[in-house]
Amino acid sequence: MTFKAFIIGLLATFGIPWLLLVVVPYSTMRSLGPVEYGKDSEFTGAFVPKRDGRIKEGSRIFGQEGCALCHTQVIRPTYAGNDVHRGEWAGLRKSSSVDEDTRRETIAQDFQQEDVAHIGQTRVGPDLSNFGRRLEHYLKLNKSSRTPEQWALMHLYNPKAVPRYEVPETGAQIITAWKSACPPKSGLFAKVQVNGAGYGNLPVDIEAGMGIKPSDRARALVSYLLSLKKDTLGNPLPDALNFNPKAPKSEE
Amino acid sequence: MAENNSTADSKDVVLRSSIDRSLRHPVMFLFASGALWLVLSIVLGLVASAKKHNPEFLTCFSWLDAGKVDAAHMSAMIYGWGLQAAFGIIIWLMARLSRKECTASGIILWAAHVWNAVVSYGIIRIMMGEGSGVTYMEFPSEVWPLLLVCYTTITIWSLVQFQVRDAGHVYVSQWYLLAGLLWFPWIAVTAWVFVFLMDGHPLMVAGVAGWFKGTLFSLFFLPVALGSAYYLAPKVTGRPVYSYNIALFGFWSLAVFGPWAGMEKLFGAPVPQFLPYAGAASMILILIPAIAVGYNIIKTVIGNSEVIAESPSLRFTAAGVVLFLAFGGLSVLLHTVPALKLTQFTYTGYGFDILGLYGVFSLCAFGAIYFIVPRITRREWLSRRFIKWHFFCSIYGISSVVICAIAGGLSQGQGIEDLSQPFGTMAERASQFSWGVTLAWAFILFANFFFCLHLFLMWARLGRRSSHPTLLDAHHPTSPHGPEGEVDNYSSASA
Repeated sequence: MTFKAFIIGLLATFGIPWLLLVVVPYSTMRSLGPVEYGKDSEFTGAFVPKRDGRIKEGSRIFGQEGCALCHTQVIRPTYAGNDVHRGEWAGLRKSSSVDEDTRRETIAQDFQQEDVAHIGQTRVGPDLSNFGRRLEHYLKLNKSSRTPEQWALMHLYNPKAVPRYEVPETGAQIITAWKSACPPKSGLFAKVQVNGAGYGNLPVDIEAGMGIKPSDRARALVSYLLSLKKDTLGNPLPDALNFNPKAPKSEE
Repeated sequence: MAENNSTADSKDVVLRSSIDRSLRHPVMFLFASGALWLVLSIVLGLVASAKKHNPEFLTCFSWLDAGKVDAAHMSAMIYGWGLQAAFGIIIWLMARLSRKECTASGIILWAAHVWNAVVSYGIIRIMMGEGSGVTYMEFPSEVWPLLLVCYTTITIWSLVQFQVRDAGHVYVSQWYLLAGLLWFPWIAVTAWVFVFLMDGHPLMVAGVAGWFKGTLFSLFFLPVALGSAYYLAPKVTGRPVYSYNIALFGFWSLAVFGPWAGMEKLFGAPVPQFLPYAGAASMILILIPAIAVGYNIIKTVIGNSEVIAESPSLRFTAAGVVLFLAFGGLSVLLHTVPALKLTQFTYTGYGFDILGLYGVFSLCAFGAIYFIVPRITRREWLSRRFIKWHFFCSIYGISSVVICAIAGGLSQGQGIEDLSQPFGTMAERASQFSWGVTLAWAFILFANFFFCLHLFLMWARLGRRSSHPTLLDAHHPTSPHGPEGEVDNYSSASA
C-alpha cells in the first residue's frame, strides 16, 4: 500500500459518510420548508407552529443543568418504541374531560427556537415532550390551587415534596413525585428574608421570616418546561405532520 | 558479518535511546496528568452512579448535580485521560516507528500544559452550569478551538516524523496512528462548526454531536488502541504479526464502517430515517474489524501464555483485545432494531460506552504505558503487586460495570416498553442495578489509585535501577523480552 493510495482510501472511506451523514442532511434539515394544510382541510395556507415562553434561554439551561441525562424529549414512532401509548406523554387521550385524542409522534417543528434538540440520554424520569400540557391537565383534574409554574418550581426544589396526582380515568399514569428519583435542584433557589407577603417565594415552611426564592434561571427553565406541549403546537397540525395512531383516516 | 550486525545493533540501541530521551518529558507529563484525570473521572463517576440510587446524595453542592457530574465524569475520562494517554502513545510510537528523534518536545510539553488547563476550565464551567448544554459535547463552545490548537501542536510533529522517515515498509501501527491523527481534526472541526458555529436545525445539531461521540471512539480511540496492540503483541512475544492481509483487512474495514457510527442515538426522532439506521448498522458491522484484529493479535501471541502472564504490557493489551471482541459481539446484540428499542434510552448505552472507553481503549493504553514508561525513565516498575492489583481490579470492575449497566438497562428498557407496568417500576429497576455500578467503580478507583501512584513514583525517577523488566511472575527462568538490555530489538515489529 503506497502512501498515496492510503490517503485516497482515507479520503474516500471518510469523505463519503461525512457528506451523506453530516453535510447533506444538515443542510437539508436547515431549510425545512413550511407545511401546507391539505385541500380537504378546513384551514388554508401554511401551518405556523406557535410556542410561548423563554424557550431559547430555558432550553440552554435545561441542557446545562443536565436534565437531558434522565429526561427524554422524543415520542418515537411505534416501530421504535411504545412511547405514544405511555400515559399522556404524547398528548392528551380522549376522556370525559378531553374532547379529542391529541397524541402524536414528535415532529421536527417541535424543537423550533431551541439551539439543540434535547433528545435525551436515558429515561429515568418521564419523557417531557408533553410536560406543559400534561401538567395543566393534571392540575385541572385534581382541582389543585397551584399554577403549573408553582408546581414545576416545587418539583425542581424538591421533587419528593410535590403532591401526587392521580388521573383515574386514563389508567395508572400519574406523576409519581412521592418516590421520585430526581435529585433536588436546590442550587436554583436562594434562601431569602421574607419582606411583606413574600411574593414569588415557594410555598414551603422553613424557619420564620425566611423564604425560598426561585432564581431567574429556575424561572426561565420552568417557562421552557411549560412550553413543551406536543399536541397541536398552537395551530392545528396539517395531516402531513399528524401521526396520531388513533386519528381516523380520510377514506374511512 | 557478525561484526556488522553488532555495529548496526548498537547504532540501533543508541538511536532508540536518543528517541526515548527526546520524548521523556512530554510523554511522562501526558501519561501522569492523564492518570490523574482518570482517578478524578472515576471519583466523579462514583458520585454520578451513587446519585442514581440515592438522589439526595451530596445535593448540598449544586455543582455536583446529577446531570452536571455525569457530564463532567465523561468529559474528564475522554479529554483528560483518554486523549492525553492517546497523545503520549502516538508521539512515542510514531517517533519509534519512524525512527526519528523528536525535536519539539518543549513545544509539546507546553501544549500539553495548556491542554490540561483548557480541560480543567471546561470541566469547571460544566460543573458551574455554564456548559454548552449539548449532550456529548458539554464543554462550552470556546473550549473546542483551544483543544484543537493544542491537539495540532502536540501531534503535528508525529506527522512530520512520518513524512521525513527513511523510506521503507510502513508498519500496521503506523497506518492506524496516521489515520487516527487525520480523522480526529476532521471530526472535531466538523462537529464544532456544525454544532456551535452554524445555525442548524436543533435535531441535526443533536445528531452531529452524537456522530462526534460515535466517531471519536471508532476513529480515534480504537485506532490508537489497535495501533498500540499491533506494536506490543509482536514486540513482547518476539514473533511477527500473524497475517499482514488480515491486518490490512481489519484496518480498512474499520475505516469503512467506523465513520457511520453515532447517529443511532436519534433512533425514532424526526430526522432523515437512514441516519439512525446507518449508525446502528455501523455499530453492528464493527464486529468485522473486531474479529479481524482480535484473531490476528490472538494468533500472534497464542502459545506464549507464559509471556502473557508475565508481561504487564502484553497482559493488559491482550485483555483489551479480548474485550474489543466482546465489544463487537455485544454491539451486534444491542444495535438490532428490537434491541435498540430497549437500549436507546437506558443505562445500557452508558455500560457500552464504558466498555469501549475503559475496557478496550484504556486497557490497551495501560499496556502501552507499562511498556513505554520504563524506556523513557530508564527505570523499571517498582511494584509487581501494584500492577497485579491494577489488572485484576480493572478487569473485575469493568466487567461488573458493563454487566450491571447492560443488564439493568435492558430490564429498564423492558419496563418502559411494557405498558402494563407503571412508569415508576422501570426507574426502580434501574436504581437497583446502579448499586452494582457504584461498587464496581469503587474497584476501578482502587486499581487506578495505585496505577496513578505508581506512575508518579516512576515520574519522580524512583523506579528500580535495573535492566530486568518487572515481570508479574517472580520466578522466571529467562526474560520474555529477550536478552538483557535488548528489550525491543526484534526486526519483526520494528519495521
